[in-house]
Amino acid sequence: MKKVAAGVIVVVLALAALTSVANAAQTSLENLQAAFNGESNAHARYLAFAEKADTEGYGEVASLFRAAAKAEEVHAANHAVVIKKLGGTPEAKMEPAVVGSTKDNLEAAIKGESYERDTMYPEFLKQARAEGNRDAVQTFNYAKTAEAEHAKLYSEALNNLAQSQGSKAKDYYVCSICGYTTARIDFSKCPSCFNDKEKYQKVS
Amino acid sequence: MLEFPPIPTWDALHPLIIHFPIALLLTVPVFIAVGAAMSPEKGRSYLIAAMVLLLAGTAATLVAVETGEAAGRLAERAPGMEQVLEHHESLAERTRIVFSVLSVIFVALVGTPWLAKRADTRLTTTILPLAFLVLYSVGILLLVNTAHHGGRLVHEFGVRAMVAPTPVDANASLPAEKERDRD
Repeated sequence: MKKVAAGVIVVVLALAALTSVANAAQTSLENLQAAFNGESNAHARYLAFAEKADTEGYGEVASLFRAAAKAEEVHAANHAVVIKKLGGTPEAKMEPAVVGSTKDNLEAAIKGESYERDTMYPEFLKQARAEGNRDAVQTFNYAKTAEAEHAKLYSEALNNLAQSQGSKAKDYYVCSICGYTTARIDFSKCPSCFNDKEKYQKVS
Repeated sequence: MLEFPPIPTWDALHPLIIHFPIALLLTVPVFIAVGAAMSPEKGRSYLIAAMVLLLAGTAATLVAVETGEAAGRLAERAPGMEQVLEHHESLAERTRIVFSVLSVIFVALVGTPWLAKRADTRLTTTILPLAFLVLYSVGILLLVNTAHHGGRLVHEFGVRAMVAPTPVDANASLPAEKERDRD
């Protein structure tokens, strides 16, 4: 009788452990899917914003939107790799981009990037750390670092919007590994992922 | 009951390995100074010990830089911390290069008389090692500054390696749920 009871306890404990592991994986997967969806939509939205900036004569701002779009594409691809590793399929629900004036678009972009930098990715990171999921931590961290830089670049662009009227395209550089975005490469290794600066792609 | 902790991953190895280059490379000058103060015959063994410590310390530096970059990829950036991290990384790179060069010089310094089958003299066991110590001070300066910035990252900015899962508040709603609520 005691042996049967002990056996039942072992089975129950094993099932409980298995369920907790499955829930943890599910959570990581959900966060990654949400991030993949957000990055995929941001990519499309920024390309639409770039087009609008071009038509309004803000060449420099258009370049910045294109560079950020490239970075979001890198983030989405990085998230997709981890989603597949966890056994999921990356899925994005593409929504039509709401395009306003370039000023409105910059303000919307700053709001979105600030939310990702201050709320979304920090929480995703906390969760991924709790699960000990290194791949998720890395891809979320790369995205968070780049989004912080985007928010900074967008804010500068918004402050100098009047001066950039009639400007031509400007060169930006995007790390093809982590999506870090910068206007000048004054380092030998990427500050975010420490890969060689040769991994940077020029976007104008 | 005592048991072995889990084997650390490559990125989690950084906080364990960094103490080796600091301890080993700071001990080297002591052995060189003692060797230089002794007679050529007795001093040689101290110089050989210094060479072994230098090679081990340099090897540990190579591992520390590589594991540091891996740990840095997982370190969440915060305002002010980014500059310190960049400085730490660039100093670590320079430290690695300088100690690699110093190792080559010192191996040549200790090994040449032996290869040439010449007896040790004051020049090879005292004057040249003391001159080497002057060069070595550049490495020490880089090493302690790298360590200082690493210490700032940990103790001032709370940067931690991912050694084990970090528990979160079980009652807090999941980030993905919040994300859905926001939409």
